[in-house]
Formats: sequence, C-alpha cells, structure tokens
Amino acid sequence: MDLLGQSVYYVGAVALLLIGFYMVLVKANLIKIMLGISFLDTGVHVLLIAIGYVRGRTAPILSEAMRTSAGGGSPEVVDPVPQALVLTAIVIGIGVLALGLSIAVRVYEHYGTLDAREIRGLRC
Amino acid sequence: MRKAAAVLLLAVLATGLALALAPIPFGQDKIVVANHYIRNGVRETGATNLVTSVVLDYRALDTLGEVTILFVAAVGVGVIFFAERPPRRRPRQAASVIVVTGSRVLFPLILLFGVYVFLHGHLTPGGGFQGGAVIASGVLLLYLARREQTLHREALGVAESLGGLVFVGIGLLGLAISGTFLSNFLAKGQPNLLLSAGVIPIIYTAVGVKVGAELARIIGDLVERE
Amino acid sequence: MLIAPLLIAIPLAAAFLAPLVRLVSRRAVRFIPPVALLANLVLGVLLVPRALAEPIVVSIGGWRPPFCINLVVGPLGILLAVLTSLVGLLIAVYAVTYIRKEPSDRYHMLFLLLVTGATGAVLTGDIFNLFVFFEILCMASYALTAYRRDKGGTEAGFKYLVQGTVGSTLILIAIALVYGRFGTLNMADIADRVASVDSMSLFVILALFLVGFGVEAAIFPLNAWLPDAHSSAPASISAILSAIAIKVGVYAMARTTYTLFDTPGLWGFLCAIGVVTLVVGEVSAYRQREDVKRMLAYSSIGQIGLIVFAFGLATADGAFGGLFQLVNHALAKALLFLAVGYMIYKVGSKRLASLEGLGREMPVTCLACAVATFSLVGLPPFAGFMSKLSIVYAAVATDRPLVFALVVIVLAATVVEGGYFFRLIQTLYFRKRPNPRPVGEAPLSGLIPVVVLGVLIVVIGLFPQVLTPILRGGADELFHRADYVRYVLGAP
Repeated sequence: MDLLGQSVYYVGAVALLLIGFYMVLVKANLIKIMLGISFLDTGVHVLLIAIGYVRGRTAPILSEAMRTSAGGGSPEVVDPVPQALVLTAIVIGIGVLALGLSIAVRVYEHYGTLDAREIRGLRC
Repeated sequence: MRKAAAVLLLAVLATGLALALAPIPFGQDKIVVANHYIRNGVRETGATNLVTSVVLDYRALDTLGEVTILFVAAVGVGVIFFAERPPRRRPRQAASVIVVTGSRVLFPLILLFGVYVFLHGHLTPGGGFQGGAVIASGVLLLYLARREQTLHREALGVAESLGGLVFVGIGLLGLAISGTFLSNFLAKGQPNLLLSAGVIPIIYTAVGVKVGAELARIIGDLVERE
Repeated sequence: MLIAPLLIAIPLAAAFLAPLVRLVSRRAVRFIPPVALLANLVLGVLLVPRALAEPIVVSIGGWRPPFCINLVVGPLGILLAVLTSLVGLLIAVYAVTYIRKEPSDRYHMLFLLLVTGATGAVLTGDIFNLFVFFEILCMASYALTAYRRDKGGTEAGFKYLVQGTVGSTLILIAIALVYGRFGTLNMADIADRVASVDSMSLFVILALFLVGFGVEAAIFPLNAWLPDAHSSAPASISAILSAIAIKVGVYAMARTTYTLFDTPGLWGFLCAIGVVTLVVGEVSAYRQREDVKRMLAYSSIGQIGLIVFAFGLATADGAFGGLFQLVNHALAKALLFLAVGYMIYKVGSKRLASLEGLGREMPVTCLACAVATFSLVGLPPFAGFMSKLSIVYAAVATDRPLVFALVVIVLAATVVEGGYFFRLIQTLYFRKRPNPRPVGEAPLSGLIPVVVLGVLIVVIGLFPQVLTPILRGGADELFHRADYVRYVLGAP
C-alpha cells in the first residue's frame, strides 16, 4: 500500500513500541523487561522525530547556504521542537534505564534469580 | 493466557495509534508554534542551531528539569549501589596491549571532542548532553583498558554540583536582572561566532561538565561494584 | 511574578547544594530539606491571596506564551504547591532523626528532588514540562522506595519502576500526538484549539493520558505497584508517596480531562473506575490483618478511588469535594504513616498484632493516629466529615440515577473502612501489651509533625471556611477554560 511507503517511519516507531510493550508485559527475565523499556524509549523517540519531519526540508541549523521559502525568507527547516523534546526524552530514558538496571542487580543479589515469577517475596 | 491478553491489548493500542496518526500524514507541514522559532530564532537568541535555541532559551525550563532527572538518576544509582563495606575486587584478565595503548592515545582526543561538542552547541549539532556523554564514553574506555581504574569521586561530585548550581544560578540571575527566570540576559553578539548567543554557551558548558561528571560517576558505580 | 519561579528553584538549588554541604559536614545535610521547604511554604502562602484573585502567569525566559513555557499559579496550583510544601516540610523534620541508614545525605537530596518534581508539575502550564517534572517525581520515588536496599524494597522499587515507566511512555506518546495534531505544547493554547481537532484523535490522546497518569495515581487496574511500594519504603517515604505523589497523578488526569480537552462526557466511566478502585482498596485493606503499612497502602488506593469518583462527576461541586478529600487524605495518611513509622521502629515489627497496647506507652503518637483515622472514616468534627459530605452532596446534586447507585456503594465502602480502622484503634488502645518491655514515646522530631498534622485536621474540621475559598477557586479553575486561556494567552 502506498500508505505504508509514505509512513514507514510511523510504522517502524509503532512496531518498536509494540515490541517493547510485549516484552515488558510478557517476559519474565528482569533484564529482558529492561530491554523492553529500552525498545519503548526508542520507539517514542522515532515517533516524535517522524512527526516533526517536513518533506523537502533540512536540519534546523542555519547557515548561509540555507534555502529560504519564496515569500518572506523563512528558512526551510524541519520542526526543531520535537528534536528538543527527544533530547530531553533520551536523557530521561538513560536515567530510568540506569536506575532500573541497578535495582535489578540488587534484586538478583537478594533472590539469586532474575526470573520475575520467583521474585514474589511481597504477597498479601 | 497472559500472552493472549497482552497481544489483545497491543492490538487495541496499535489501532488507536493508527487512528490518531492518520490525520498527521508523514512529511506534511504541520508546524504552528515552531514557525516563530524558525523565523526569529537567530535574531532573538543569537544561536544558529535552532534546536539549541529551543532547548536553552525558549524551553529552558525543560532542560533544567532534564539536568535534574539525570541528577536524580546518578544519586539514585549511588544509593542503590551503596555498600557499607568496600566490595572485594575479583582478579580480572588484563586487557590486551592494543586496548591499553589505544585508550591512552584516544582518551585525550575523546575528551577534546566532547568539549568541542558542548562548546559549539549553539553553532553546530550537539550541546551539553551530547558532549558530556562523549566525555563519559572516554571514561568507559579507561575502565575497559584498566579494570582497577578508580575515579576521584569527590571531585566529580563537586563538578556535578557546581554545574547544576551554575545553571540554576544563571536562571536566578536572569530573574534578578530582567525579571524573568532563565532569561537570556547577556548580549546576543554576532551569529556564528563562538562567543555569541548570550548565556547559552555558558549554560551548555556547565551542563557538559555536569553530565560528563555524572555519567562518569554512574559508570564508576556500576564498574567498581565487584 | 518574581516569587513563583522560586517555589521550584529553591528546593532544586538546595538539592544541588547538598553534595557541597556534605563535603563540609555530613550531619548538616539533613537540615537542608526542612529549611528549603520552610522557605517554600512561606513563599507559597504569601502568594495565596494574589493567586486567588487572578492566576499569576509567569513566563519563563522572557518570551510570550505560547512561544515559551509558562507557569500558571492559580488557586489549584497554589493549593497543591502549598500542600506539598507543608507536608514535605513536616516529613523532612521527621526524617531528621528517622533516617539512620546510610547514605542518608543522598536520601535528603532525593527527597528534595521529589518535592521539586511535585511542585513543578502542579504549577506548570506546558504539557511537556508537566511530563518532565512528573518524571523527576517518579524517578525520585523509585529510588527512594528501594532506599533500604532490602529484599522487599528492591522488589517493590523494581516493580514500581517498570509500571511507572510504562505509564510515562504512554504519556510521552500522547504528547507526541498532541504536538502532531495541535502544533503546540502550551496547555492554554491546546485548550483554545480543541474545537478544531477531530474527536477520534482526542479520544486516543486522552485515553493515553488517563492510563499513563493513572499508573502514578494508582487507579484500578493500574495500582499493582502501590501496596508493595508503600509498605516496603521507609515510613517517611510512604508518607510523601501516599500524601503527595499519587495526588499529582490525579491532578494531571483532571487537568487533561477538563481544562485541556473539555470532556465532561466521561463522567460515567470515571465515576465507575473511581468506585471500583474504592471498593478494591477498602476491601483489600480490611482483609489485610498482618502488615499494618500494607493496610494503610490499600487504604490509600481506596481514597484515591473516592477522589477520582468526585472528580469524575464533572461538576465544579464534584471537584470541590474531590480537592477537599485530597487535602484531608494527604494530611491524615501522612500522619498515619509517620506515626506508624516510629511505632514499628520501637516494637521492631510491622505486624498489626505487635502494636497491641501502644496507646498507653506512646500516648501522643496514638492519639494523633486516632484523630487521623476518625477523619478518614468521616466522623465529625474532623476534617474528613466535611469532605465526604461535600462529595455526597455533589453526587446527589448531579441528579443521575447511576451516580445515586454509586453513592450507595461509596457509603458501604466507608463502613468497611471504619471496620479496619477500628481494628487498628482497638489494637492500640483496648489490648494489653503482651511483652512488658517498656517502649518509649517517639523523639521530638517524630512527634512534632504528627501533632501539627493532627491539629490541622481538627482545625479544618471545626473551621472549614479557612479552606473553602481556595478549594472553590481550584475547582472553578479546572472548569473555566475560557478564563484559563484568556489569562495565559491574553484576550483573543
């Protein structure tokens, strides 16, 4: 479908998101769950960047060689805001990943296993 | 059973996302607010890198929050990995000659590149976070070459704190000088010069130092555990 | 204009300063949070009159909205900010002696950052900025839940992190869709443009927001993390989580549903979810006879259900009741967790049975507990009576048969609540201590917060008019969208 060709980036981003959610929901290994979170992060970042893209325009770094639109001289660049958002989101993702993996290491030290099904010390 | 429920949920999510993405075709010009940034960015902030002007001027509060999040992560990892007694170091296989020699050559270059990236954040792609990450990767290289490497924790902690305080301090200075928090109160200068864009290069330097020190500390916490 | 950013900048700067103070004196670090939060409380209270008259809109960076991030300090924002500073201050005082396990200086840094996140989230007028401060709050919570690094704490911390991050990802997806559809991230600008966006997009985006924020708010069925987290965290953290953190989630849900997207049509769904959460929470609490902190955690889930039910009514009266209940629960649950914290510390066990007879040996602490439980159940003359009454009144005023049926369930749940809280009082006062080893009262820094909270609960119960103007203002701010847009963006 032409729809697919047009929006391969959207499809890719959503696919990454779905893979990430699947891993978080279904997998039992703590590290795989964190990997799933990593997939989620990447998927969201690609989605944001893809939403900001405008066909035929270039990166939002201004230089003398930049093309400007016909009337008014506004530089032909893609949307800089989603890129700024992704910058922040990547850092948030790193923070969560670091925290999650370090807690997972501690859980392993206490329980001796990385299998979430066996880590059920806290029950009613 | 669980897998079936998960797949069902994901199908619902995928449908919802497809429906929500349909009215936003890929590549269409849907810029609204950002047109202001594109047209006036250089004039109003002095930075030719429009993403930087968004990150450190128009939406500077987001960046302050981002710096804070990394700080939370670093302190959090420090808490989680805190050991009452220093852990025993297991003997490790030494790295090969290539890695050891290569790291000695590359580490200063990596450091230099990282500093370049955050110093020129307002002119070329990059900025404080990217530069800090590059610096931290140099530190990681040091660990790969020599497992027993230790970092001067106190100094890194001080660098971290100072970086954050400089950022908040500039924000408060802006409040005192021009009445708005995080305003760009220094002269914009001429675009494309290193010394331009007001406080932006200063903040990015502080952020670069902070992020470099912070990520290096996190790496140190993770590696020096055992 | 000048003061409002300080509410965020002060705890943030204090947290950045703490490592430097640590170099000079390790022991001095634990006094930084109380000092910073006292300053915040004073500044916040100073802002209240102006915020009530007209929301203070502060542009960050010197540009005009919607081209910058702005803070909107209206009645709702200042109410939650002052509540956060007050409860945060009291918990910080408590933590001065309660936190003995090292590395305590890092605990205090994380605590300050948690409060910064909560304050920033309720004061901001930009949806992505809300997400950033929300993430600060969440990440500090994950780390503090696992602070003790014991079996329960790490397990609870990990589960909280994973579920919270899934929620945050959904919020970020929703923000991406908002930006794609609306072209702006400013909340007032979004509210202004809602009419031009198709309802299917709005539905998907709002659903993502509700589920995403709902994880932190702990509504059913997204609350699996809460009983573990609140019971395994140190008592002071359980207190701040139950009192403030989950309320930020509810605030965000209300803000996106009503101010941003103007969807009162969701009342049926939201009220139902609220009541289900309430029932699940209260019944689970009743069945929890062993771990007293877990019982309190389930009680928090129940109360959140009640608050969501009140907000779900989609009327200003409903929001009034919801905000009132929010404030009262924050005060009472913080008190309970703090009091129980020292009780558990003194007797060395979390089991309800081991607290028998403490009423005699820890008189002040247990008396405060009694005040809090009476307030939560809704007995006059305590604050909880007025808030529950206003919720019931608002529900009846909607004149919808479904809501009447739900109110009956709410009242039945209150009876259940009375059941397990009475069990607590009975254990404290009407049993003898089995082991006559003497147990002293909590230290001064553990008593002051508990007493102050107890006094506040009584005062609000006797003089609710102290609170009602700001509650009414907050409820109105949620629904008067045209005014909100006008204050931020100027007259059209």
